[in-house]
Amino acid sequence: MDASSCARDAADLAGRVLGALRGGGGVDLAAFLESRADPTAGLGAVRLVGADVFLPHVVLNRPLDAQDVEVVTASLAVFPPVAEPAAPEQRVMAWHDWSTARLLARVTGDAAVATPEDPAGVLGPAREWARWSVAVAQLSSLAHPGATGPVVDAVVAQPLALCRGVLRTVLRRDFATASRLTRWVAFVHAAGAPLPFSPVMLVEHVALRVGPEPRRLLDLVVARHLVGEP
Amino acid sequence: MTTVVHIAHDVTAGALGWLHAHRELGAFEDDATADLNDPNGVYKSLCELALVSSLVLREGVAGTAEQAAARELLDFSWGQLRDGDLLYERQLRHALLTDPLETYVHHARSGYHHESLEEALREGSAADSLTEVLPNRRLAVANAHRVVGIHRDDDLMAMLRQTWLGRTPQPWALDWYTAYHLTHAVFHFTDWGALPDALPADVVEYLENWLPVWVDVWAEAGQWDLLGEFLIVGACLPEPRCEVAEWELFAKAQHPDGFVPRDTDPVVDDPRKRFHDHQHTAVVAAVAGTLAMSRLLGSRT
Repeated sequence: MDASSCARDAADLAGRVLGALRGGGGVDLAAFLESRADPTAGLGAVRLVGADVFLPHVVLNRPLDAQDVEVVTASLAVFPPVAEPAAPEQRVMAWHDWSTARLLARVTGDAAVATPEDPAGVLGPAREWARWSVAVAQLSSLAHPGATGPVVDAVVAQPLALCRGVLRTVLRRDFATASRLTRWVAFVHAAGAPLPFSPVMLVEHVALRVGPEPRRLLDLVVARHLVGEP
Repeated sequence: MTTVVHIAHDVTAGALGWLHAHRELGAFEDDATADLNDPNGVYKSLCELALVSSLVLREGVAGTAEQAAARELLDFSWGQLRDGDLLYERQLRHALLTDPLETYVHHARSGYHHESLEEALREGSAADSLTEVLPNRRLAVANAHRVVGIHRDDDLMAMLRQTWLGRTPQPWALDWYTAYHLTHAVFHFTDWGALPDALPADVVEYLENWLPVWVDVWAEAGQWDLLGEFLIVGACLPEPRCEVAEWELFAKAQHPDGFVPRDTDPVVDDPRKRFHDHQHTAVVAAVAGTLAMSRLLGSRT
């Protein structure tokens, strides 16, 4: 298994989730794994997409597929969450995995999972909004309808830093990051925080320029749902 | 705050010194008449030289050498304009043009007067003999009338609301070119930082929210001229915004001889072209430094 094939698989999987959100079918993680040449890389992709594989259930209240739950459980078993994150990317993965494990526990009724660390460790100080918002963007899978937790609270508390961050990415035409931050902006708006610009117009602006990549479109589907303009 | 004052002082001294040392490169090459071949060439740069010099004298925060250089630069530009006769002839010949007024204002602010020109300006103003211009340019004309003392019933707030900035658009609805419209709306509405409290609260909040981002994006692109204009805007706010990191970045772009490149493009060797390509940025740098010093020192007392 190499990193690039894992990333390719993750893009394919994001496309499946996107298709499920747009159409009527499920994500069908079992079929996804079967279609992979390397099932371990497939499980790595499931880990990368993380909590977003449950989006049809979380966003559209679709019934949960027991096989999907098994596959996500298997991905966390094969790729156990980082216990003591040190490098920045490990800190991101620790929160990403936490979000997956937490949502998994929620949908299966299992006991809650422990949070990795103070969110300031992964996000850094919000006054350094450019750097802070890049970390926030990496954690976009934490911004799903109904999400709670320390990172969510930290982001909701800093609407201006978030809006500055997304404005920066839009002006730099970095729509990979912009789509992720737009999802957060929509989340913070849905949480009731007043924003210094129109989240609906932001979604529209980014949607027209984001391109065809499923990962970006997935973030925008969630954003549209959160601002009430599906 | 002290750090920014020091940086702003050094940037101003350097830029003004460079403008002063090379001022002869900004002289007319022939006997200019009211029909200027290239109004955006020497004529415009003389206007800008007068602008920065008038602000150095108005604020009075620069060192003795800088104040003397500013006075000499005004003598120089006024001399190039034949003690205002060129402006007067141009206004008579082209009655609807606003550039004679906009060039005259910086000299009038500093005590250089031309009675006949003022009479022509009053007559033109009464007749609304003004060409139609962009909303931010309209503010420039209104401010010039205000400073020269030609009374009109101009509603500057209504004019501000006609500009890009006055509508406080979604903050991504901005490009490099329109950013200059934004900065100039602030310059003229506040008379270059003299009236910071005149800015309406929603515009102030808008600028405080988004200036950090615009600065970051265009500084990354090496647009030093625009960065300098944003620094001026910051110094024109009711609570002056003078971030040390942004000033350090701007100061780093300045060469040891005070020259400030407008962007990251290669600089040509030809001295005259070099002067004309980059004198605007030196003007911007010295205005930014002067206003930052003045606002920071003023707000301390």
